[in-house]
Amino acid sequence: MGVNHRIEVRGAGKSFGSLQVFRDLNLDVGEREVLAVIGPSGCGKTTLLRCMNGLVPLSEGEILVEGARMAAPREGVAMVFQHFGLFPWKTVQQNVAYGLKLAGATAAAIGEKVPYFINLVGLTGFEGYYPYQISGGMQQRCGLARALAVKPRVMLMDEPFGAVDAQTREILQFELLRIWEARPTTMVFVTHAIDEAVLMGDRVLVLKGRPAGVHEVVNVDLPRPRDRATLLLPRFAELREHVWSTLMQEAKEAEFKV
Amino acid sequence: MIELINSDARWVRRATFTISILLGAAIWEYAGHNANPLFMAPLIGSTQSPGVAARLVDFIGDSQFRAATLSSLKLFATGFVLALVVAVPFGIILARLTLLRVALESYILVLYVTPMVALIPFVLSILGFGFWPKVLVVFLFAFFPILYNTLEGARSVKPELLEVAGSFRASEWSMWQDILIPYTLPFALTGIRQATGRALVGMIAAEFFLSTSGLGEVIMVASRTPDMTNMLAAISLITILGVILMRGAQVLEQKFSAWRGVDG
Repeated sequence: MGVNHRIEVRGAGKSFGSLQVFRDLNLDVGEREVLAVIGPSGCGKTTLLRCMNGLVPLSEGEILVEGARMAAPREGVAMVFQHFGLFPWKTVQQNVAYGLKLAGATAAAIGEKVPYFINLVGLTGFEGYYPYQISGGMQQRCGLARALAVKPRVMLMDEPFGAVDAQTREILQFELLRIWEARPTTMVFVTHAIDEAVLMGDRVLVLKGRPAGVHEVVNVDLPRPRDRATLLLPRFAELREHVWSTLMQEAKEAEFKV
Repeated sequence: MIELINSDARWVRRATFTISILLGAAIWEYAGHNANPLFMAPLIGSTQSPGVAARLVDFIGDSQFRAATLSSLKLFATGFVLALVVAVPFGIILARLTLLRVALESYILVLYVTPMVALIPFVLSILGFGFWPKVLVVFLFAFFPILYNTLEGARSVKPELLEVAGSFRASEWSMWQDILIPYTLPFALTGIRQATGRALVGMIAAEFFLSTSGLGEVIMVASRTPDMTNMLAAISLITILGVILMRGAQVLEQKFSAWRGVDG
C-alpha cells in the first residue's frame, strides 16, 4: 500500500452478465492529484467511478480508498453526477444541505456551512429557488456545492459538465479549478472532452478496447494554478494533440473492426 | 363563430359558465313545476311549496338532519382515513419490495376493477350490520384507487435519485423522507382524489344496504313517503360534499406537485 495513494485500484474488472466492461485495471491516485479518465463512450468510465464510490460491486479485484476496501459508499467520498441528481422538490439551499443532513450535522452547523458553499459556487441569491427554476449550469453548481459541503477527501466527477452548453462548461471548468486550488483533494474526473481532461488532470488515463483496459497514462506537466492562460500554452496544445491521436487511433481501429 | 367558440378570453369563459349554470337551474325549475311531484321537485319552487334550495337551508336548523349528516360524515371520514393511512405506505413498500409486488400485483389489479358494490352482500353476511362493517365498505371503495396510484407513482421514482441518495449513504428511512414520499405524493393525491368520489358511493351504498342510517336513510325514507324535495336536497348535499372534497384534493395535488414546474 502506497503511502501517498488515496485510491488504489488492483486488478479491477467488472462484468454485467456476459458483458465484460473493463478488466485488469491497476492504478493509483495521489492525495492531491486529479486523475482525468477519458475513453470512447461505453468503455466503462462511469462504471469505474461508481465502483470507486462503492455504489456498484466489482466483479474482480479490489479498489481501496484510504487503505480500506470499497464495498459500500463511505464517508469522505463524494460524487458529482452528469445528470446533476438534484432533488426537484428541494430548494438550492435544501439540496446543498442534503449531504450534511445525512451525515448528522446539527441545524446550527448546516445553517453556518450551507451559505459558505452556496457562495463558493456563486449561487448566493438563489437559495430559495427550485431546480426547475434555474439553468443547467446553475443546477450543476448546486450539485457541486452539495458534494463539497461534506468536505470530501475524494471527489468523483462523472462527466460533470457533459450536460451543459459549451460556454457554461468553460466557465464551470475554471471555477472548479479555482475551488480545487484553494483546497486540493483527490479527484477522479471522468470526461469525454480532450481539452477538459488535459486542463483538469495531473494525469490523463486513456481507456481502450472492449473490455476496456488502460491504454496509456499521459503525464500532464502543466503548471498549477491553471486558468484560462493555460489553454494558450504550447505544451497544452502538444498534450491535447497527443491524447487526441491516441484516442483517434483507438476510434479508427474500433470503426474498422465492425 | 369558430373563433368565439374556441375563445379563451376570460369574460367569454365566465359568461359561458354562468349561462350554463343558469340554464341547468332553469331546466330543473321547469321540470319541477311541470312533472309529476311524485318524481320531481323544483329547485326554487313557490311561496306555498318551497323547493330544494329552501329545504337545504331548512336542513341546517333541523337537528335530526344534522345528526344524519354527522353520522354519514363520521362513516365517510373513518373509512377514508383508514384507507389513506394503509394504502399510501403499503403502495411505497410494494414499490420497494419487488417480490412482494409481483406476488400481490394481480390481486390488486383485480380488486381495483371489481365493482365494490358487488362485495356488499358479502360484508353483510360475514360481519353484519354495525358501524364497522359499513366502515369496511367505505374503506374498500377508497383503498384500491389510492393503492394503485401510489404504487404506480412510487415505481416511477428515478433510479438516479436513489443512487445519489446511496452515494450520500442514505438509510432506507431517509430515502422515504427525502425521495419516495415527496416524489410519490402527487401520484397518491391523484388516487386520493379518485377515492373521495368512490368513498362517497361506498358511504351511501353502505347506508342503503347494511342498516339504514345517515343521509342514505334520509334518501330511503324520502323515497318511500315520497318526498321528492327532501330526497333531492339530501342528494344535493352529498353532491356538494363530493365537489368540495374533490376540489380540496385537487388543490393539495397542485401544491405538492409544484416542484414539477409544469405551471412554473
